[in-house]
Formats: sequence, structure tokens, C-alpha cells
Amino acid sequence: MRKKRSSQSRLKKDVLEKSLCTGCGACVGLCPYQAVYKDRTVQLFDCDLPDGKCRAFCPRTPSDLPLLRESLFDASDATDEIGPVKEYWLTRAKDEGLRSRAQHGGTVTALLGLAMSEGWIDAAIVSGRLDGREPEGLLIDRAEELADYAQSRFWAAPTVAAFHRAPESGAGRLGIVATPCQAIALAKIRTAKIDGYRKGGSLSLVIGLFCGWTLALDRFQNLLEKYQLSASALTGMDIPAGKNVLELRTAGGSANVPMDEVDSCVREACRCCVDSTAEFADLSVGAARFGANPEEMRGWNQVIVRSGAGQKLVSLARQRGVLEFREAPPPALVELKNAAAEKKKKALVRIIAKSRSPKNLLYLNPDDPVVRKYLK
Amino acid sequence: MHMTKLLSPAKSKVLFLGNEAIARGALEAGVSVATGYPGTPSSEVIESLARVAQERNLYVEWSVNEKVALEVAAAASFAGLRSMAVMKQNGVNVASDFLLHLTASGTRGGIVLVSCEDPGALSSVNEGESRYFAGMLEMPLLEPADFQEAKDMTKWAFELSEAIGNVVMLRSVTRMSHASGNVVCGKFPAKTRKAAFEYGGPIMDSQTGPMISTPVVAKHLLRRQKLKAVCALFEKSPFNRYTGPARPDLLLITASACWLYAVEAVEMLGLQKRVGILKLGTTWPLPPRLVSGHLRKAGKILIVEEVMAFLEENVKVLAAGDPKLSGGKTFFGKYDGTLPFAGELNPDIVADALAKIFRMKRGSLPSSYLEEARKTAALLPPREQTFCAGCPHRASFWSIHNAIALDGREGFVCGDIGCYSMAALTPANGYWTMPTLHSMGSGTGLASGFAKLSPFGFQKPVLTVCGDSTFYHAVIPALINAQHNRADITFIVLDNQGTAMTGFQPHPGIEVNALKESVPAVDIASICRAIGARVALCDPFDLAATGAALTDFLAEKGSLKVLILRQACALSPEKKGKKTFEMKVDEDLCLGDACGCNRLCTRIFRCPALVWDRKKKKAAIDEVVCAGCGVCASICPRKAIIKMQKTVL
Ligand SMILES: Cc1cc2nc3c(=O)[nH]c(=O)nc-3n(C[C@H](O)[C@H](O)[C@H](O)COP(=O)(O)OP(=O)(O)OC[C@H]3O[C@@H](n4cnc5c(N)ncnc54)[C@H](O)[C@@H]3O)c2cc1C
Ligand code: SF4
Ligand code: SF4
Ligand code: SF4
Ligand code: SF4
Repeated sequence: MRKKRSSQSRLKKDVLEKSLCTGCGACVGLCPYQAVYKDRTVQLFDCDLPDGKCRAFCPRTPSDLPLLRESLFDASDATDEIGPVKEYWLTRAKDEGLRSRAQHGGTVTALLGLAMSEGWIDAAIVSGRLDGREPEGLLIDRAEELADYAQSRFWAAPTVAAFHRAPESGAGRLGIVATPCQAIALAKIRTAKIDGYRKGGSLSLVIGLFCGWTLALDRFQNLLEKYQLSASALTGMDIPAGKNVLELRTAGGSANVPMDEVDSCVREACRCCVDSTAEFADLSVGAARFGANPEEMRGWNQVIVRSGAGQKLVSLARQRGVLEFREAPPPALVELKNAAAEKKKKALVRIIAKSRSPKNLLYLNPDDPVVRKYLK
Repeated sequence: MHMTKLLSPAKSKVLFLGNEAIARGALEAGVSVATGYPGTPSSEVIESLARVAQERNLYVEWSVNEKVALEVAAAASFAGLRSMAVMKQNGVNVASDFLLHLTASGTRGGIVLVSCEDPGALSSVNEGESRYFAGMLEMPLLEPADFQEAKDMTKWAFELSEAIGNVVMLRSVTRMSHASGNVVCGKFPAKTRKAAFEYGGPIMDSQTGPMISTPVVAKHLLRRQKLKAVCALFEKSPFNRYTGPARPDLLLITASACWLYAVEAVEMLGLQKRVGILKLGTTWPLPPRLVSGHLRKAGKILIVEEVMAFLEENVKVLAAGDPKLSGGKTFFGKYDGTLPFAGELNPDIVADALAKIFRMKRGSLPSSYLEEARKTAALLPPREQTFCAGCPHRASFWSIHNAIALDGREGFVCGDIGCYSMAALTPANGYWTMPTLHSMGSGTGLASGFAKLSPFGFQKPVLTVCGDSTFYHAVIPALINAQHNRADITFIVLDNQGTAMTGFQPHPGIEVNALKESVPAVDIASICRAIGARVALCDPFDLAATGAALTDFLAEKGSLKVLILRQACALSPEKKGKKTFEMKVDEDLCLGDACGCNRLCTRIFRCPALVWDRKKKKAAIDEVVCAGCGVCASICPRKAIIKMQKTVL
């Protein structure tokens, strides 16, 4: 009998060596063999087990995405471009103080805080701070601390590893903030049928972030050096609508880096990503960008409500006045979908360039109808 | 009761280790100063002399390296005292630069260089030969073949040195130094000498003039003359003996422990009536009349020696230059392939060689002998090369491996000589990080060189390790080289607070010397800081702190970084038998070979105290082997390995 190839070596060959690794952290913190350093996933020692969780949870190993959609969402909510949509809103946190510390409208932090104070979740996993030593995921169990971890870090933070490391008992029900690739990993974790593995059940809330790409930290650090900046000195970063620059804020002021320079720092794995709205989260949050002029949108989020749990939380936020709501202008959703479809097409071209065959889409399945649609 | 043993009265018969016999011989010669650098199989000579230093009024020193050891001993000789320097084979290479000049300047008080060599590299990473130094530097060479000789020859070596005014080399091998045999003791000298150094006399007067190697040509000619005197003494030496028939079919020439193998091989084959054995104790320069005389007796000559063909070459040169030797001699040895150029010999190999020459079938050997040989071979324990339980090096290499892996640029470690060499000898011990291993101090020199290859496209980060003793021995110049030439290397001192590999001899970092006196310790960190390196200090058992220090150093570009990992050896006297923690595995928590762990502790970390219980499919601690260091508790992903602080009563 031929020995089954180990999960770890397949992960290495199919994901790490193909530069498909998003740094999500789903294979890390499960065991001693994978680790994340800066934003790179590293295999420390060889493991010869087949059928391991590392490969099972990785968002860049082949997955049955139609089955994941079916088990997590209502079929009637499905869209091809941006996944299931129950509701679509523009929102922002009521709390002005929080808004001033948040990336856009503070919706993510406000919702996490609400879920925690309502006792829906016992703790939340967020990304470590901009000035942290290294990208990391952190388990926060005090609602008032969440605002300290608001804002976006445009590089991979292994928050899923923090989920694996969270103690199984104690903080039982967890909420987590996830980029689209992390949301896929978490969906695989939630639906996994693995002997003796029950931790997926403790995932009560996945708040997805819209995501265009992450930056590869080493290249980005070189870019920062060029602008006489260091990652730990950053107090904020954003892509202001319509300006085609990356705005970098420090205590001393801000610098605008042209997008084509930033583009050279984009993580290769992100160029192969077909998801821009975290289609597998309970609800997804991004910057309000579409359907009106940028000034009018500044400080607002767009929110896609996808699952029943997401819907419950958003309506509670409305009831309690935690969030302020605006109807999205009618063209917004159409523009969002167009932008999302663009990302899918570009990613598929990139994937085929890597695999050298339209029949081999690496982690994607050519028979998935959503994939097939954008294969042209 | 070593002390009384080495000082046994004259005429008593005592069981001595070969190295003790050498020490006793030195005492009988009235040695005043003995120096050395620890190295197997040589260390017991200095160790046993240190123990009787007070009674015999000796100065005994573990020197920083072999060259300095010889220099310290030479000073005593210049001052008219008898002295010796003791080292292992490769130590002679270290000392050789000084030795070249010492044999040129000449010496006064008898001075003996003892080299204990290791054919077959039983405890070395080389099969170095120092006999060639005798020929190359024109100093007499003596090789004892049994324990009595080891003692007697050592004593005589001092007299010879004094007689010719030059250093004499005495060579032993592992099987002589580390075996024991009976020795009849002689007398200790009644008089003690006083040290005095005169240098005002004529330049060519070796007793009163300056001790220098110039005028070079004149001094060299003087040394050649001294060799004539040596040859004359060697012709009559009782250390050269012939046994066998007057006209043998084969003359077997041998020396050192090989003589025992030769005698046994001849007996095994029942060739006593056909083979004559010339055992030489004075192997360079060869006494020409004695050797020629024996060569005349036989048409076939077999030279039996270990490693290089030193004796064979010298015998052949002598034979070629002797007009009285009729031609038609057939020489057997290494050049014709009768004996191997590498590895130890034993009676079996010599018997094979004899059987080949006499066209005998080895099958005709008494089967009882083969049986016996097989049994002895089975008795030898298979040597599983691994770091001991609780060894700080395992923890250090764990962190080094992980830091290199995290850094991701395929960094590697240039190795050096010490217990930690095991990381290269059995790569799994060093978690596959250490691909080079050469002489003491060369790890740092190599690292310094690799670091300068970036203009040629070499981008891997370079690390190097050395032990605390090695640091003082030969690393400092290489380290200064690295700093001065801006070599970007991470230099790691595996400071286990003693020369552990060779038995915890003190070194300059320790506040006590060979004589157990308190002395100033020379601090490694201060030296490194003084040359301008960035220095950090960690406990290697603290995996988190060590890992962070290493990844930081690897990420920091452009300079020499020094990390001192300090933790005493598990076998050190202060630690041995004392556990810091009692360890146990919580079987309910242990994941065993399931996904989530897959036996990290027994499959990868591999402390010998961690055992895999096949039946239960759980890890367990072998309490007898466990040293209680507690490190495994920090690697277990499930915190299933539990450390319990030992309650101190
Ligand atoms: C890498 C990245 C790329 C993005 N790209 C887009 C885009 O193209 N278009 C768009 O509309 N929106 C994008 N976003 C989302 C956007 O930046 C905001 O996070 C989102 O609008 C929510 O804003 P907020 O004010 O509600 O967030 P906040 O209330 O400030 O909370 C943000 C939360 O995100 C977490 N977080 C920060 N960085 C990371 C990270 N790297 N990984 C995981 N969690 C993190 C924080 O811990 C915090 O909990 C991106 C976000 C990230 C992290
Ligand atoms: S997750 Fe399981 S299979 Fe994968 S490397 Fe870890 S122990 Fe091995
Ligand atoms: S994508 Fe995530 S799960 Fe896959 S290899 Fe990278 S870090 Fe691991
Ligand atoms: S490392 Fe821990 S969990 Fe894994 S086998 Fe050893 S004791 Fe068990
Ligand atoms: S505590 Fe652990 S690592 Fe240390 S000796 Fe015992 S078993 Fe080995």
C-alpha cells in the first residue's frame, strides 16, 4: 500500500510553494509544526500525518465552496458577485469617540462590542495593533478594550491562529474579525467533520472585512524605508476614495504613496483571490465608496448582512441605537458587484497563468457555477 | 586514591592507566612544570599531575590552547627546569608554529612534548598524525609499546632532551593512554632544581646565549649535529627489541600499540618460527645500523603502523641509502595495500595481512579465536550519538533551528569542536542546522568568510557556535576578524561553564585553575563588547527569550552579533544527580501521534528521557534518565508535560 502523502507536505507543495498562502493563520496554532513570523507562514519540522487539520482548514487547498454556501446560508440570498445578501446598508457607529478611532465608520468595533455586552460572545479575536512587534491575532474579552484594536492593518494578521490557540473551555463563544480568506477558513472550520474536533462550534460570530489585497510585509517595509518611515511608527493607513494613493499616517503627519508603488508590494496570494467581500462571513463590512461622491461617504461603512446570526446582530444594533443607518443609494450595490466581479476575473486569469491550464484552478473548482461564470 | 597511587614508592608494582604511567615517568624525571590543553585521549596526564602538584612541588596548568601550553613549558626549560606539554594529535598542529621555532632555538632543561593520538578517531573529528612533525622539525620521537615503557620512556625522554638540548616528542595512542597495565615504579629525584634564565652568553651557546632561532642556517646545522648524537643513543636503546628467529622469512617492523597487535597476530597464525618482530621505541630518527642489520636478515619486510606510512617511508629511505643491503627486498605495508592507510589496526587486521603474505587461508584460524572476537564485538555498546538528557545544547539548537526557519532565508550554522559537534555528526541532534565542522575556532572564521560572499550572490544568513573553552582557545582572532571586516554573523557561545566534553577541566572563564586555586575569570561578554559587537545573554532553557533574541539578531543587518547562551552542562558536578524539576506526562492531555502534535517530543525534540509508550500511544518520562531541566514542558503543544518544582527540604 502506498503511504498517503502527508497533509503538511501537500500544504507546502500546493499552497506555500505556489505562493498561494494568504497568511491567514488557519494552519497555525493547531500544532507545533506551522508558525507565522512577520507575515510569513513557516513549517518548522516535518509532520507525516495524512488527513490533518492544517490542510483541511486552509482556504487555499481545494474546498467544496458550493457545499459551504449551502450549509451556512439561505440559497435564496445568493448572488454570484458578492455571495449571499440578506440586507445591504450604509452604517456607522453612533459613538463619535469610537468613530474617530476607527478605520471608517467603526461598525466592526461597535458590533463586536454589542455582541460581547449582550453576552452573545464571551471574547473577540481581533488583529494586533499597528505598532505591535509582529502581526498577530489577539483574544480580547473586555468590550471596552476593543477600540484599542480598531483600524485596518493592510497586511496579513494570523487571527485564525489566535482562534486555534484560544482555550477550548472558558471563553466558549467567540467572535472574530476576518478577511475574506480567513472567512473561508473559518467556514471550513465551522462545518468540519473531523473526529474529536468540536471547536468550530464555538465560533458564534464572523465579521468579515472587504478586502482588495494585503501587502507583503518585507516589501512594504522596504517601501516605508524609502519614505523614511517604519511600520511601528504608523498610526493609520487608508486608501481614500478616488485618489489612487495609500495614505500613511504617523504622529508627525502623513505621506501619500502612489498606488503603482504600493502595487509592487501586494502579496502574490492576494492576486489569486476571488473574494473581495468576505462572502463566507455572517456579515461583511467595508468602506462606503459607491453611489455618491466621496465626501458624502466619508466615515461610513457599507454592510452586507449574510446569515441569520448576522441579521439578528444588525437589527439589535438598530434597536439599541449602537449603529446609525442610511439607505444605500441605488447604484451602490451595482457598482460594488461590478467591482467584485472585476476582482474575480482578474484573479482567475492569474490562477490560470500559474497552473497553465483553465482546467486546473488550483484551490478553486472549475465546476463551481460561480467560478465558471467568471472564467469567460 | 589516585593521589597515593601516582606517588607509590619505588619498586612497587602498580596498575596504571597509560596516561598515568606517562605522568609517573615525568615525576620520576623530576618534572617541575606541566601544561596542556584538554583533549581525549590526553587529558589524564595533566589531571593526574595536578592532583599531586602540591606534594611534588609542581606547577600544573590547563593553558588556553596547545601553543600557549608549549610556550609556558618552554619557558621553564629555558630556565633550566624540566617541563612537559601534553595535548592530543591536532593540538600539535596548533602548537606547531611555536614548535618550528623552538626546535631551532633549542632548549635547556629537559622538555617533552606528549602527543596522545587517536587512530580511528574514536573521540576526534580527525585522524591527525603528529609523527611527521618529528621528521619535519627534526626532533626525536619516542613511542612506547607497553605501560612499563610508557613510564620508563617518558623519564628517559627528559634525559635525552637535556642531553641534546632540544625538545623530544613522546607519542601515545588511545589504546595505550586509556588502557591499564602493571608498572614497576622507580625513584623520585632527591634534588629539586632552581629556575634561572641566562642569556648574556655567545649567540651560538645554547646554555648561556639568547634563546632565538637565528642565525638560522648555523642553528639549523647545529640541530643536524644534535641528531647524530640522538642516532648514536638510539642505536643502543633498550626500547628497540628484536624477537624471533635469526633468519626469519619475514621481518615485521612495528612500534607503539601496534606491537601488541603484531605479536598476537603472529601467535594466532602460529608463525612464531617464520616471522621476526623488530619493535622500535625510537621511531625518528631511525637508528640506521640497528635497522639495516635487521633488514639484512629477511627478504620480505612488513611494516605495521596505524594511519600514515611514516615508519614505512623512513625504513624504505634508510634501505635505499644503504649500499650494503643487497636488492631483492620486498616491502609490505600501506603503499602496496597490505594494510589500510586509515583507521585503527587490531590483531585481526594484522593477521589478515600476514595471511595474505604467507598465502594462508584465514579460515585456518582457530575458530575459537574468531568466536572470541565476535563475542567481544557484541559486548561493545552501540554508541547512540545524542545530547544527554537535560543538555543545554539540545535546547540551544532547538531555538537556533526555529529562528533559522522563521527567518526563512535558509540560514545555517558553521560548527566548531566540542560536545555540540554532535549537531553535525548526527544532524538530527542539531535539527539539521549545522553543515560544517572543522578545527577549534574555524566555525567563526568560516562564518566570517561566508558573510563576505554577498557580492557574489550569496544571501543566506550565517550563524556560528562555539563552546566557552573553544572561545578562549582559538575563536578570538576570528571574531576580531569578523568585527573588523564588518562580517554580518550571529555568533553564539554555547557557554556550559566548563570544558565538558573532556571532563570539566577549568578554562579561563572559570574562577579556579587546574590546581584548584582561585584565579580571575576572563569574561566572554566583556571581550565581545570590547571589540564592538552587540552582545545579548540568554538562558537557553528559556526557549521564548532565546528564540526572540535569535530572530532579532538574524533580522538585524550588517554587524557582528553575539548571543551567549549560558546554562551549565547537565553532567557538571554542580548539576549531576540534582533535578530542578520532577517531570511527568499527563496522559489525558497528551495527544500522542494524533493531529495536533504527532509526537513532537519523542520524534523531533528527542531528549533521551522522553519515551514513546507504543501500547498507550502516549509519551512518558523515563525518570531515571530525566535530568529535570524542564525544557520539554515548553515545547509540548498541549502542556501535557508537567514540571513540578522539587521541594527543597
Ligand atoms: C487588509 C485589508 C484590506 C482591506 N481592503 C478593503 C477594500 O479594498 N475595500 C473596502 O471597502 N474595505 C477594505 N478593508 C476594510 C476596511 O479597511 C475596514 O476594515 C472596514 O471598512 C471596517 O471599518 P470599521 O471602521 O468598521 O473598522 P474598525 O471598527 O476600525 O475595526 C477594524 C477591525 O479590523 C481588524 N483588523 C484590522 N486589520 C486586520 C487584518 N489585517 N486582518 C484581520 N483583521 C484586521 C481590527 O482588529 C478591528 O477589529 C480592508 C481591510 C483590511 C484589513
Ligand atoms: S495540523 Fe496535524 S497534520 Fe498538519 S502539521 Fe499539524 S499535526 Fe501535522
Ligand atoms: S493560507 Fe492560511 S492555512 Fe493556508 S497555508 Fe497560508 S496561513 Fe496556512
Ligand atoms: S509533545 Fe506533549 S502532547 Fe505531544 S506527544 Fe509529547 S507529551 Fe504528548
Ligand atoms: S525535563 Fe524533559 S527535556 Fe529535561 S531531561 Fe527531563 S525529559 Fe529531558
